[in-house]
Amino acid sequence: MASDSPGVSRRNAIAGLSMAGGLAASYGAFGAITARFLYPATDSPRSWLFVADVRGFDSGTSRTYRSPAGETIAIARTGETGDVSDFLALSSVCPHLGCQVHWEPQNKRFFCPCHNGAFDATGRATEGPPKDAGQSLSPYPLKIEKGLLYIEVSTTSLVQANDNPHRDRSPVGLEEIPLPDHRGPGHDPCLAPRSSQARIA
Amino acid sequence: MGSIANWVTERVPISGDQLRELTNEPVPNHLKRWWFCLGGTPAYLFVVQIVTGIALAFYYEPSTSKAYESVRYITEDAAFGWYLRGLHKWGATLMIAAVILHQMRVYFTAAYRKPRELNWIVGMFLLVCVLSTGFTGYSLVYEQLSYWGATVGANIADSVPVVGPLIKTMMLAGESYNEHTVPRFFVLHAAVLPALIVLLLAIHITLIRLQGVTEFKSEDEEEGKPQHFNFFPDHLYTELIVGLVLMILLSVLATCLPVHVGPKADPLVTPEVIKPEWFFYTAFRWLKLFSGTAAVLSMGFVVFLMFCWPFVDAWIERKWPRKNLYAWIGIVAVLAILGLTVWEAAVAH
Repeated sequence: MASDSPGVSRRNAIAGLSMAGGLAASYGAFGAITARFLYPATDSPRSWLFVADVRGFDSGTSRTYRSPAGETIAIARTGETGDVSDFLALSSVCPHLGCQVHWEPQNKRFFCPCHNGAFDATGRATEGPPKDAGQSLSPYPLKIEKGLLYIEVSTTSLVQANDNPHRDRSPVGLEEIPLPDHRGPGHDPCLAPRSSQARIA
Repeated sequence: MGSIANWVTERVPISGDQLRELTNEPVPNHLKRWWFCLGGTPAYLFVVQIVTGIALAFYYEPSTSKAYESVRYITEDAAFGWYLRGLHKWGATLMIAAVILHQMRVYFTAAYRKPRELNWIVGMFLLVCVLSTGFTGYSLVYEQLSYWGATVGANIADSVPVVGPLIKTMMLAGESYNEHTVPRFFVLHAAVLPALIVLLLAIHITLIRLQGVTEFKSEDEEEGKPQHFNFFPDHLYTELIVGLVLMILLSVLATCLPVHVGPKADPLVTPEVIKPEWFFYTAFRWLKLFSGTAAVLSMGFVVFLMFCWPFVDAWIERKWPRKNLYAWIGIVAVLAILGLTVWEAAVAH
């Protein structure tokens, strides 16, 4: 044992271990506090936001919205039963590596320019890495209450932060995106040729 | 004069002989050839990056609301801002190119073999740090490339099993790009990664000093001539000339191919054609060829193999001695990297 060794007495061994333990505990605690400080606070509250009156949302049509968090969402009505299964809300965030997809009306598909991923009108991957991985565009939860359609989305945003760093974090409404007159790159209206409420192709 | 010398010697107790011993490391003759100066080249460019980076930091504002405008101000309004930003951008490009070439030189001359395995690993850490500094650097501009590059990079990290989501959250300071992301990249780019590079460089150079530079003898070398020359002043002069040539080259590039400010980041629109910086073309093309997790895991395996290469090579040498398999593996790897890079550069998608 250490006490038999001429160089290391039991007292020295205990002192050494105490010193090592103290250093590990103090610097370990400092490291843990710093790591927790650097780990961001989880602050992404989600809320149910009003979308539209179900009676005014015709079957076979699609609308594009922007959530308070800046997400572009395509909401389509595909049935006429009057319940929530008639509706489909798809995220515009590619499930592969997070780029924004856009609708290509000529190809009837959502296309991701980052790594050539493609999705059909229901959000199912048809080409590229998302198809290989069996990924689809994420659907948003929807519900109908008293004939009104609601969607659950995140309500904090980078877009808000850009505009107002000292922002009010209370939820704001969903914004319907007006459709551009040209067909440039970016977010073309999902499933819609010219109007914000158009027939599904 | 003598009293001043005595005053200094009393306070800095080092003799002329000790100073010569410290600086006059015998340098092998092969280092007179310029391609063996590729180790000193990134070190010189690193100094250029530090100096120009400090200058740019006087005007740069690391926040999502002000980063783009401050870069535009540096580029278009500040006196010689375009020049300093150009030096910084082209310095980064040349530094990464020099690090890659230096690593290739070390690989193909098998200079990583016993007893220099640890220095190869230190070099690999340096390569990762330099690439990370490049990545965080272009993420600071808050252009479209910056925003979507950071988003794709974070989601690549997210694809790593188990620890991926934690890495992504720590990178972006949240689940997605937010107002804390740019300050975080700035601290990594301007403080954490440069400090790590300095530390690793110190270890790298210390190991070189302890083990000496790998000896090579060229066929045209005359017998009986001295095998070494002095580091000071002979090799230092060579490095100074390389530095001067680099400074001229950087100035020409900054002037003839000036950096511009691209479109401001738009979190709602991914550009139709999106490319990272050239040094990530290989990874970007690889990500297009395979699904997320498969691509990330295979890339991770290749990087792991590169870290462990001296030991893998030793095993190969024991199994199949004197067949120079390492050289053939290296040639295939270089051709694959070149092929993927050219492929990515040549096509829009």
